[in-house]
Amino acid sequence: MSNSISYNERLLKIFAGVRCLNKDQLPRYLEGRLTDIEKHLVEQHLVDCDLCFDALQILHKEGQLEKYVRLSNGIQQYIRDSIKPVSQLQKMERYVRKAKKRESMLIYFWLVAFIAGGGALMYLMQQYNRNKPVMARPAAVPVVPAAAMAASPPPATDSQTLQTRPVTLASSTGAVTTPPATVTPPPPAANDSAKTAALKKAAEDSLARKAAAVAAARAADSLRKKAAAKDSVARHTVKKDTPVMAAATADKTEKPVKQDDNNTAGKEKAESSSNASKPAATKAAPSSSTVVDTDEYLYRAAMVYQQQGNLDEAISRYKRLTANTGRVGEMARYQMAVCYRSKGQTGKAKRMFKEVVRMDGTMKQAAQQALDNL
Amino acid sequence: MYQQLSNLSDKELIARARKLKDREAEGVLLERYSHLLVAICLPALKNNAGANAQTLFPSLLQRLSNGLKTQSIQKASEWVHQTARTYFAHPDKQIPYYPSREAREQLHTENRVEKAASNTIEKQTLITQIQQALAGLSTDDRYLVEQFYLENKTFADLAAQKGYTPDKVRHLLKKAKSRLAMQLTNQSHVK
Repeated sequence: MSNSISYNERLLKIFAGVRCLNKDQLPRYLEGRLTDIEKHLVEQHLVDCDLCFDALQILHKEGQLEKYVRLSNGIQQYIRDSIKPVSQLQKMERYVRKAKKRESMLIYFWLVAFIAGGGALMYLMQQYNRNKPVMARPAAVPVVPAAAMAASPPPATDSQTLQTRPVTLASSTGAVTTPPATVTPPPPAANDSAKTAALKKAAEDSLARKAAAVAAARAADSLRKKAAAKDSVARHTVKKDTPVMAAATADKTEKPVKQDDNNTAGKEKAESSSNASKPAATKAAPSSSTVVDTDEYLYRAAMVYQQQGNLDEAISRYKRLTANTGRVGEMARYQMAVCYRSKGQTGKAKRMFKEVVRMDGTMKQAAQQALDNL
Repeated sequence: MYQQLSNLSDKELIARARKLKDREAEGVLLERYSHLLVAICLPALKNNAGANAQTLFPSLLQRLSNGLKTQSIQKASEWVHQTARTYFAHPDKQIPYYPSREAREQLHTENRVEKAASNTIEKQTLITQIQQALAGLSTDDRYLVEQFYLENKTFADLAAQKGYTPDKVRHLLKKAKSRLAMQLTNQSHVK
């Protein structure tokens, strides 16, 4: 069985591929220095390979082994020399190509990173700009007016508190008082009218009434201080009010003006009678302060709009107040500039701030600072 | 790198030289056959007075290099041999290498045997086919083939037995093998 297997295996040997003779085998075969197995393998190859057979035949016949060895060494060296520099060049080229590729990849990477970074920065800036007014409005807007208003001579202030309190005081003291007149910026006019009314009434009662008026004024001063202290709290309550409510208050303020007009018409009649001196005194004071009060209420309403974020409405309200050259007008201009700044209209904001600076009022420093910041 | 390349077969070196444009592989292949090239060029250098080793071998190697890039080479030794012969016959003419039919059939059979090395069924089939082809040979041819391949006799032994020269024994064996390959190819085609 083993013989049959080996016989069959040997059959395949007929077509087994054998490599050509190498440089050492060739002379050894010629000199007969090969082993039997090696010699048989060489002869198996020689059956197929004409190149090896021809080479052996030529070397056998010519007998130029020395020349053959010399030339074969020379040709091998020639091939190595001609191939090596090329391969070195190829390697250099490959290296350079790789380096270039790496460089270009790095450039692409940095480019992409820069673009991505720029995009992220832009996005963040946009987000910041979008959120900035919302974040800044509640903090920035009330601060300046609150400080300014606290420093300024007290305006008509909250309608109900200042209207009701003097009445209660007057009722408690039993004297004729000038409730809002003492509080409002143009008190001298009101005081004068009160004094003339008092002089007209009776000389006897004048001293007592003056003393009462002084006491009422002192009480009003203390109330004013309290009101100023409560101002911020009152503003917070105003914040919650809707624009409708603010408009309602504005309307309410307008109504008394009309009433006051009517009252001023009947004022002359009232002057004739001595008994009518008290109402005349009480009604003369509002006649001078109503315009200021109206502006003040307009300003308040605009503030409410501004705090609620309705900047356009607030600006339109403030614009109405620009005719006023007094304290309210200055504040209105300042707030309008703040509104413009919030809207991003820096040109208009600057113009308004400059106007405020030019007015040279109490808000000059704040406006100048705002201008510098712009 | 050179050591790794020198362990590769001719087929792999040719593939590397052609596809990857690997000059080192090309160099290793040419170096593998350079001593044989020198041997077959010796008569030309001796007989031709104008022939010079400094010019002959570079131009011959250049021709081989060009042929390696353009021609389809199935058997490197045959390609080198044919290129050298055509170079000496027509130095100015570059005749493309094309393997003979016998060479192709023999190469095909060699490839089949190589593939069947790990396939027992294929191997058995091939053995049966070879036995059948051997039976189809003439008695002299079969005797020479069996004695040479199966009994490991040398050219000299067979020449002594038959009274031929070793060259004639080699020639007869080549012919017999070629017929065997042809029969095997025909058998595979008949299938």
